[in-house]
Amino acid sequence: MKMTKIYEGSHQWIMFGRDEGKPNNIIDTNQYVVRTANRCLLLDPGGAELFAPMMAAVLHHAPVDQITDLFASHQDPDVISSLGLWDQALTNAKLHAPAIWEGFLRHYSCESIEYVPIPDNGGTIKLESVELQIIPAHYLHSPGNFHVYDPQAKILMSGDVGAAIEGPDSPVFVDNFAAHVEKMRYWHQRWMPSNQAKRVWIERVRNLDIDILAPQHGRMFKGDDVKRFLDWFDALQVGIAV
Amino acid sequence: MTNQTKSQFIAVASITSELSAVMVVAKEISLAAANAKAIAFRAGDKAKGFQPITDFINELAKETIELVTNINIYALVLYRLTVDEFQKTAAYNKFELAAKMAEGAVYAKSMQEPVDHARLSMQDCQRQFKRDVSQLLGQLEAVMHHARAARVIAANSRIEASQAGEYLQSLQAVAESVDKAAHTIHDNVQRCRIALSIYRNS
Ligand SMILES: [Fe+2]
Ligand SMILES: [Fe+2]
Repeated sequence: MKMTKIYEGSHQWIMFGRDEGKPNNIIDTNQYVVRTANRCLLLDPGGAELFAPMMAAVLHHAPVDQITDLFASHQDPDVISSLGLWDQALTNAKLHAPAIWEGFLRHYSCESIEYVPIPDNGGTIKLESVELQIIPAHYLHSPGNFHVYDPQAKILMSGDVGAAIEGPDSPVFVDNFAAHVEKMRYWHQRWMPSNQAKRVWIERVRNLDIDILAPQHGRMFKGDDVKRFLDWFDALQVGIAV
Repeated sequence: MTNQTKSQFIAVASITSELSAVMVVAKEISLAAANAKAIAFRAGDKAKGFQPITDFINELAKETIELVTNINIYALVLYRLTVDEFQKTAAYNKFELAAKMAEGAVYAKSMQEPVDHARLSMQDCQRQFKRDVSQLLGQLEAVMHHARAARVIAANSRIEASQAGEYLQSLQAVAESVDKAAHTIHDNVQRCRIALSIYRNS
């Protein structure tokens, strides 16, 4: 599992991905960790298949008992099917996840972890002195979907928005936006169901000061590429399967 | 899933299916008993010896149904335990793998506690499963006992039927169906016991 520190300040952001041990037939995912002095938040911790490499990678940054928070942007298996395993490994943790998915996500088993339901209008996650904003992103692509914004680090973790299917050796940041577009087009057209939801989300996100847009698959966008992505997404027609 | 867990799932599932067949047959016996009672009533003195037997058959069928109902509840507990054990074993294996992959990591040692904890709860499950299997085997033994008793009664019924004159055939048919049902119950329960016996507490 490759680890890339993407923010270092009063706290840290680390991106985990490009897992070389991953079976070929499951989709590659990026996991993000927010580390404060004594706590640790895993954003979209990943599938059950990824649990062991992910746990091992996190142990480079935090001990098990300091993994206190998990966040699931939505209900997909690539996002959170590892929940049942975290549930048995962690003794004092919370899962922040969409309220409407609670009854579904509990199928993965969530007994020792406390499920903190996120209402439709979002909320915050407080990690010691760091306050992260939970930004609604419903229907992008899931009916109950959230992103996480860190105003201090200026990072927006954007779930499946901004995702691309990439090879295991690809760089973690977009280096040529024009070339990258082709890797994203079908994904966004096919997975994102609603032009209206997209418009509302873009409006909301344009008001945020973002240095890094960090999706759950593919590469992160940095600096001007963030705006490039928003413009490109704005012009794209989605929901093409009907 | 290992072969061991697979066969454990199959063993537990087979109890439920075998027992539902036992239930059907036990209800048949109960019906046969009611039927026999009516015939014996009509036959009057000719079937005097048959009358107490019908009550006995009925009683036996009722007890068997009750026992099987209880065992089914138990089988459900056993099923849940199997699921639990499967999950705990999977977790333990993943935790061990994570600990191995974390070798050299600053906080690798912190994985030891979850590993130990997972091992203990997995072993707890295994022990509980064995204990419950032993109990279930005891209950199955009781059903077998009933089935054997039913066969003895069926043999007696045949003798009594032979003295019932024109009612001979219908009473014999009753004896026949009780015997057949008892046989089926015996066989089904025996299969349950064989499937479970490898898990019993040794
Ligand atoms: Fe998804
Ligand atoms: Fe995804």
